Amino acid sequence: MGVTESLGAVTKAFPQARLVAFADLSSRMILSSAGSLATTQEHLDRLCDQARASFDDPLFSLSVEAFGEPRGAVVMGADAVRVFLRSDTEPSDALCCICDHSIDLAAFVAKIRDTLESITHGG
Amino acid sequence: MNKATLPIVARLRSLQADVRFAAGGARVIAEADDRNPVAQLLRAANETMLGRSLQFDSAAGPSLTLDVAGRRVLRVTAALGLAGAENCLGVEVLEDEHKDELIKLVQAVAAPRYELRVTSGPIGRGGEEVSVGLPVALLADLVLIDLNDLAADDPVEEEVPPLEPATARVSGAALDAGLTRFAEAVGPELLAWLVVGGEDDGRTSGPDEMVSHLQGFLADEREAVEHQLDMLAAEPGAPICVMLGATLIEGHSILVARLGGLLLGVVEGEGTGTALAAWRGVLI
Repeated sequence: MGVTESLGAVTKAFPQARLVAFADLSSRMILSSAGSLATTQEHLDRLCDQARASFDDPLFSLSVEAFGEPRGAVVMGADAVRVFLRSDTEPSDALCCICDHSIDLAAFVAKIRDTLESITHGG
Repeated sequence: MNKATLPIVARLRSLQADVRFAAGGARVIAEADDRNPVAQLLRAANETMLGRSLQFDSAAGPSLTLDVAGRRVLRVTAALGLAGAENCLGVEVLEDEHKDELIKLVQAVAAPRYELRVTSGPIGRGGEEVSVGLPVALLADLVLIDLNDLAADDPVEEEVPPLEPATARVSGAALDAGLTRFAEAVGPELLAWLVVGGEDDGRTSGPDEMVSHLQGFLADEREAVEHQLDMLAAEPGAPICVMLGATLIEGHSILVARLGGLLLGVVEGEGTGTALAAWRGVLI
C-alpha cells in the first residue's frame, strides 16, 4: 500500500481527522497528505513547523529527562486538535494531523502509530 | 537537481506518493493530458501568500518567471520563448493595464498537451508589503477559471483552514480559575501539577518531589516554555494546551496549559481523552 492509500485509510476510519499528512521533519516537508480539509502549501509548511516546534526544547528536554524521548504530541486549540507523531525508528518521519474535538484520541493515536511505522518500514 | 533534493525525491518515489518532480527539483503541476494547465499555473500562484519567485517551464520550451506575493502577481522577471513578453518585463509592478498581456504570457507558457513545471525560489525584490500587483483571482476571472473548483483534483474539499488555529474564546471568569478547574477536570491521571502566574498562581497538587521538580524547571525555563507555546498558538499569549509523551497512551506524559497563567503537570497513562474534554470544558 502506498503512502497516499495508507493516509486515506486513516481518514476513512476516522472521519473526524480532517487532515493526515506524512512529513519529513528534517527537511521540513510534507510529503503526502489526505483528508477532506483543503490546504495550501503554506498551511502544510506551517503544520510541519508546528510539529517541529512541538518536539523542541524546553519541553523536549523535560520529557527526555523525566520519561524518555517524546514521540507524540497533542496540541489542543479552540477549534481543532493537532496530533503529531514521530516514528520510533526514523525520528524524522512524522504524521501531522488536524482533527475535530470529537475524535477518540486514544484510538486515533494507536491507529496512526501503526500507520506511521508501516509507512516508515515500507517506504 | 541539488543534493538536498535528491533524498526527498527518492523518498517520495519509494512512498509511491503522487507528487512528481522533474529535473532541477521542479514540481510538475500539469501533465501532458491535463485539461487545463492555465488553471494549475494560476492555482500555484494563488497558493502563495509569502513573497516568492515562481518559474514556470513548459515541456514545449517556453519559460515564465513571476514574482508573486499575497495571491498577487507583482511582476514578470524573466521570459523565454514568449512573444510580447517585453511589454511586461520592464514593469516594476504590474497594473491593470498589463493584465491582458500577462494573460497571453500565461496561456502561452501553460499550453495544452505539454507538461508544466514550477520551481519556487526567493522573491527577486520587495514583496513584503503588498498592496499592488494583479490579483490572481482577477486573472482567473478573466479566463473563466474557478480557482476553488478542485473537483477534478479532489472531489471532497472543505474550507481552507486558517494558517493559525483560532484563538480560544475564554471569558474572564474562566481565566480567573480556569487552570485549577482544568486540572481537576483531568482527574487522577494528572499525577502532579502546579500553576505559575494568573489567579491560580502557586496552586499545586501531587507528590512533593514531582511538584518540586516541575517548579525547578519552570523557574529556569518559563520564558522558553512561553515562547514554545507561542509557536503553536494562534497568537502570542493565547490559550493553548499541549500534551507531550513517548506514546501518549501509556507511560507518562507532560501536560502544559496556558490560560492566563501557566500549568505544568505530569499525566500517567492514557490521559488524552480526559485532557481534551477538560480543555474544552474551560473554553467557552
